[in-house]
Amino acid sequence: MWKWIQRQSSPKIFYQTCSNLTPWFFWPFIGFLVIGLYWALIVSPADYQQGDGYRIIFIHVPSAILSMMVYAIMAIAGGIGLIWQIKMAEVVAKVSAPIGAAFTIIALVTGAVWGKPMWGAWWVWDARLTSELILLFLYLAYMSLNNAFDNPRTAAKSSSILALVGLVNLPIIHYSVKWWNTLHQGYSVGTGGLKDPDMQIALALMFVASIFLYALLVAIKAKTEVLIREQNSRWVQEEVTGAVS
Amino acid sequence: MTMVEYFSFLPYGKYAFYVWLAYGVSAITVITLFLSANRNHKKALINLQNKYSRK
Repeated sequence: MWKWIQRQSSPKIFYQTCSNLTPWFFWPFIGFLVIGLYWALIVSPADYQQGDGYRIIFIHVPSAILSMMVYAIMAIAGGIGLIWQIKMAEVVAKVSAPIGAAFTIIALVTGAVWGKPMWGAWWVWDARLTSELILLFLYLAYMSLNNAFDNPRTAAKSSSILALVGLVNLPIIHYSVKWWNTLHQGYSVGTGGLKDPDMQIALALMFVASIFLYALLVAIKAKTEVLIREQNSRWVQEEVTGAVS
Repeated sequence: MTMVEYFSFLPYGKYAFYVWLAYGVSAITVITLFLSANRNHKKALINLQNKYSRK
C-alpha cells in the first residue's frame, strides 16, 4: 500500500490511476445517491417536531461534514507538497479547493433554507454559521492566491501556507455548538439526535454518496491539472494524441 | 399568496417550498461542478492537441 502511494508521486502514474478510478467512483456515487434519496425522501418518516422540513438535513449534514473534511485534505496535501515537494500533492490540494467551496456553499444555503421555517430567519450571526462562512472565505482566499502566480510551484507554496493556517478554523466550527450558546442545534450524529433507524440509514447513504462525489470530482479535475502542468512531457503528448484521435 | 403556499401542492405540504428549494440548489451545484470538470478536461485535451499539431 505504501509503495502504491509512493508511486502516485509520478505524474504519469497518478494520471493513469485517476483515469482508472473514475468509473469506480462514478457508479457507486450514482448508486448511493439514488438509494440515499429514496431513503431520505420516501422511506424516512416525518420528524415529530420539525415535520417534513427536517429532510433538508440529509443534504445539509453530509455537505457540512465534507466542507470541513475537504479542507483538512486540502491543507494536509498542501503541507505534503510544501515539505516533501511532491507535485501531485499540490495538484490534489489545488483541485480540492473549488469542490470544498461548493460543499460549503451547499451547507450554507441548505442551512439557511432550513433555518427560515424552523427559526424564522434565513441567517443569524451564530457561532456555527459564522465560522462556516469564514471557511468559505478561506476557500476563496486559497483559490485567489493559487491563481495569483504564474509559476504553479510558487502558487502552491503560498496557498498551502494559507491552508495550513486556516486549519485552526475546523475545531472552531466543530466545537462551536459546545463552546458557545448557539441557536444552531447540537450534533445530529452520534448523540441520539436522529433516533429513527431509517433516518440514520438515509444520512449514512447520503454521506457515502458525498464522499464518492468528492473522489470522482478530484479524479476528473486532477487529470486536467496534470495534463496542463506536464504538457511538455512526451507521455502527455502521446496521451493527448491517443485521446483525441 | 406566498411562495410557501403556492408550492404546498408538492409532497411535504407546508415545507415543500423549503425542502425542494434545498434539494434543487444542491442538485444544480453538483451538476454544474460535474459538467464543468468534464468540459474543462475535454477543452484541455483539444487545446493541447492543437498545440502539438502546430509543432
